[in-house]
Amino acid sequence: MTDAAAVVTVRNLSKKFCTQLRTSLWYGLRDIAAEAWPGAGPAPGLRRAEFWSLQDLSFELRRGEALAIIGANGAGKSTLLKLLNGLIKPDAGSIHLRGRVGALIELGAGLDPVLTGRENIFMRAALLGVGRTQVLPLLPAIIEFTGLGAAIEMPVQFYSSGMVARLAYAVAAHLHPDVLLVDEVLAVGDIDFQRKCIHHMMGYLAAGGSLILVSHQPHHMQAVCQRGLVLEKGRLAFEGTTTEALDYYFSHQAGPGSPDGLPERTTPTLSEAHPVVFENLTLSGPGAVIQSGDDVLVTITYQALRPVPSVVWGFFIYTCDGSTCITAAYPPEPTMLAPGRHQLSCRLRGLPLTAGDYLVKSAISDFESRQSIALWGWEDAPSRLHVEDEPSVTKNIHKMLQQLVTVDVEWN
Amino acid sequence: MKETIYTSQSPLSTPRVFLQAVRADLGVVYRIGWQLFVRNLKVQVRQSLLGYAWLVLPPLVTGLVWVLLGHSRVLNVASSDVPYPAFVLAGVFLWQGFVEALNCPLQQLSGAKATLAKVRVPHEAYVAAGAAVVVFNSLLRLGVLLGLMLWFGVPLTGTLALVPLGLAALLGLGLALGWLLALLGLLYADVAQGLPVALNLWFLITPVVYSPPAAFAKWLNLNPVTPLLTTTRHWLLAGPAAPAPGFGLVAGLSGILFLLTWLTYRLAQPHLIARL
Repeated sequence: MTDAAAVVTVRNLSKKFCTQLRTSLWYGLRDIAAEAWPGAGPAPGLRRAEFWSLQDLSFELRRGEALAIIGANGAGKSTLLKLLNGLIKPDAGSIHLRGRVGALIELGAGLDPVLTGRENIFMRAALLGVGRTQVLPLLPAIIEFTGLGAAIEMPVQFYSSGMVARLAYAVAAHLHPDVLLVDEVLAVGDIDFQRKCIHHMMGYLAAGGSLILVSHQPHHMQAVCQRGLVLEKGRLAFEGTTTEALDYYFSHQAGPGSPDGLPERTTPTLSEAHPVVFENLTLSGPGAVIQSGDDVLVTITYQALRPVPSVVWGFFIYTCDGSTCITAAYPPEPTMLAPGRHQLSCRLRGLPLTAGDYLVKSAISDFESRQSIALWGWEDAPSRLHVEDEPSVTKNIHKMLQQLVTVDVEWN
Repeated sequence: MKETIYTSQSPLSTPRVFLQAVRADLGVVYRIGWQLFVRNLKVQVRQSLLGYAWLVLPPLVTGLVWVLLGHSRVLNVASSDVPYPAFVLAGVFLWQGFVEALNCPLQQLSGAKATLAKVRVPHEAYVAAGAAVVVFNSLLRLGVLLGLMLWFGVPLTGTLALVPLGLAALLGLGLALGWLLALLGLLYADVAQGLPVALNLWFLITPVVYSPPAAFAKWLNLNPVTPLLTTTRHWLLAGPAAPAPGFGLVAGLSGILFLLTWLTYRLAQPHLIARL
């Protein structure tokens, strides 16, 4: 049964592609011929040199909802958007769409380099199915939104990619589609424009619009989308809130132990080239699992070829996507590395992190120059810190707010 | 609220819905086609020094060359009551219209590949915009031709009123064949490679610059362009009003072929996009 409020309903959607060009052309001819025979559907299985770009995908999108599509390159995100936009047709399954679909898939497409920005507004609107008379009253708002100023009268061939993005987004945004498909378009705009787009998307959603966003920028997805789908090799791997989906993606996509997609840890052999090497970094709490508020023991194991005086070691806690350092700590006084295999440790009191996955990196540096001597997790896989918490309303609120740390507050 | 359903089923399994969608797109095709046509004209003008002069220069130069040839009596082919230069010019201009119509769908669609692969737009709009340019150019050439006919002293008769019909049939045949070729040409580059070769041969077996000798008339009439071109030229150059044998048949079949190609292209569109 289809949900009455759903504007997009995807059921068991599959799409296959061919890896060889000439074979693909031949299949194309055969598929076109098959279209002419009612009842003769496409070949159900894979033919030689074919693979599933999307397989058995089902989901729904309701009015006012925004969905993030997350996945590595080649996971099937763009294929999905092309199918939703009706550019290509499914090989199995179905898509039900209610209302008009607006798509921002490739911003430069359909813009004529010789025409001015203003002329291209009409051109692009026409391509999106909106005539000149309908665009005219929207023109001032569109030009205002682009923020291009006098450049709107300049040929588009002199625009930077960011300016093209502004123009294309402004047109699509003002035509008020019922479903907006956005594919990695904010990446080229400047911060001001990204903020403007996010603000617009929020307003569009509040007004009852629905949105599907493909992006590789977690903060865009988290800012706009409530739900997220993770695609892996064309299949639905995870569906949940955007934060959960991103968590899943970062912890699974690049393979366990290497959340950044960095190579697995390989301890370099102790040598003149590497007189100090990290052997291990462990985190342990009082119980079997680490929980918010626990005292956590951070221990590094190193090997040194000879004594190294006046060094410091520190640890760095990062978000699970490796993009943001939440906190870092160094001791105030230098220490000395003894030759051989030894351990250094410190106690982190009352872990302030909320439940979730984090990455921990470490470095041993010269005290004076802060030049690093040995690194853990920078060029290869960092250690993983999993913080548990009992399921509770507070935990859900943390997730919803994407809150990372808690602080001790004395309320008067 | 409009509901759209995409499945793997052929649109022909629900013919009524399919035809309704084709009809619903007509408005969009007109709007986009017109915008593209205007854009093509603007682009042509902005990137050149001579601007709009380029629209009339090529036929004007061709015409002048033939006027000079006629004037110097280099060509003294006693063909019929019409001066030979006028006869050839009419033939060449009509043949050019046909060739442009034949080439236009593949040219337009290939040129817009990047947009077609990313933007949902009825591809007919590009064919329509191309066709509009072909019609526009043909009308300009016709204007030049009429001027030259006056120069050569060819009388302007009532059969001129029939010329648009003949031209429409000729361009319709070109577009129908060209669109069918575009469908294949978007997949295989062989079509774009082979088309100029085929057109050169076709020119030779079409009575563009000569009157068909009686012995071969039967064979040349198997060429579908022959009756359309001959008839339209007769109408232009004060010839007989009765169309050449086969005119009605070819014109009718061209119309049917055009419609069938249109619908076939609609069916093929998603498969083509997947391979653009």
